Amino acid sequence: MGTNRINKDRRKFFQTSAALIGGTLAFSIIKPLELLAQSKNEVAKDEKTEQPLWGMGVDIEKCIGCGKCVEACKLENNVPREPFYFRTWIEQYTVKKDGDVKIESPNGGIGGLKQSVPDEDIFKSFMVPKLCNHCTDAPCVQACPVGATYISPDGVVLVDETYCIGCSYCIQACPYGARFMNPVTKVADKCTFCYHRISKGLEPACVEVCPTDARIFGNLRDKKSDLVAFMQKHPTEVLKRHLNTSPRVFYNGLSSEVR
Amino acid sequence: MPKIIFRLLLSFIAFVTLFVLIRQFVIPDSFGKYGHYRANSIDDNKARPLFYKGEKKCIECHQDIYDLQSADVHSEISCETCHPPIINATSDCKLNIPELKGTIEFCAQCHTKNAAREAIGFPNIDIEEHKGNKNCIECHNPHAPWELTE
Repeated sequence: MGTNRINKDRRKFFQTSAALIGGTLAFSIIKPLELLAQSKNEVAKDEKTEQPLWGMGVDIEKCIGCGKCVEACKLENNVPREPFYFRTWIEQYTVKKDGDVKIESPNGGIGGLKQSVPDEDIFKSFMVPKLCNHCTDAPCVQACPVGATYISPDGVVLVDETYCIGCSYCIQACPYGARFMNPVTKVADKCTFCYHRISKGLEPACVEVCPTDARIFGNLRDKKSDLVAFMQKHPTEVLKRHLNTSPRVFYNGLSSEVR
Repeated sequence: MPKIIFRLLLSFIAFVTLFVLIRQFVIPDSFGKYGHYRANSIDDNKARPLFYKGEKKCIECHQDIYDLQSADVHSEISCETCHPPIINATSDCKLNIPELKGTIEFCAQCHTKNAAREAIGFPNIDIEEHKGNKNCIECHNPHAPWELTE
């Protein structure tokens, strides 16, 4: 294709379009490069300040099943009052003398759990508060197709409410049943360790109101924190260890009956 | 170069450019800063309103009740366990006075008879048997339960 065969108009058209394409390409390359440089600086800064790594301890030997944590959680985080939506809830496990295990959690434990099995049939009974386990390898994060749920740099599994498309994949993926579809916002909702509180130096609402200190919140990296002390004092266990999700919620006194 | 290949190349470049350009506008600013998510969402989560204010805030005005409470068996309990803030009371607690509860049902939430409570040695009683229809706070001071009025 000789240049002499192209008339002036075509030449002009190619020149302007080449300039336009080249310009936009250059512009689009600059922006990601900037981001790259920025993120590197950011990571370097974070390493210096030493991010906390949040976790929770739950002492089954102290929980009385009063349901205060469930109430407080609903209030603090604007969770709908209906008995299907819980960021945290309490289950009562009753092992009967004939070996049967009865698990109940009427209204998540709000208003206090009541024993429904007659005393003479009970072998043992205990309360298990449950919440999001804030897994290190969270199945919900892997399942999310748009990156709307993620693990924050300080180890809390959070939901991006403006980015979530409400597909419920994460709800199905969670082996602990800790997620639900919020009927008001129409996006996935879950425990955030009260992220708005802990980032201001306060404790999560459930920890704040627990009358028997059955919930212990703290920084796993701080060797002087209450949580590390709790874990050193008691033999702790996580829920569903065989799934290798590496939760950051640690239970003391967890029986094998707990699912 | 044949004309058709040149045109194909040109349109290919144009489409790639268009794709890169649209992608640039569609992806939120902070996406990918820390990982495969929008980094600004962390700040969104931090910015949620706060309801429970914490014991320290209550002590500012109610030091006397706090002293009374911390001397008795209810010392471990935080103020807002029994006096939760009113919904949307993010502002001043003096304008939206926290709930006061003193009914039998309220005390029963923790103290009604339950095998799980029995097992850990928590004081639990058969409410019906204990004092009939009398309200708990008629005899017990909720801040210091063993300072009996009768």
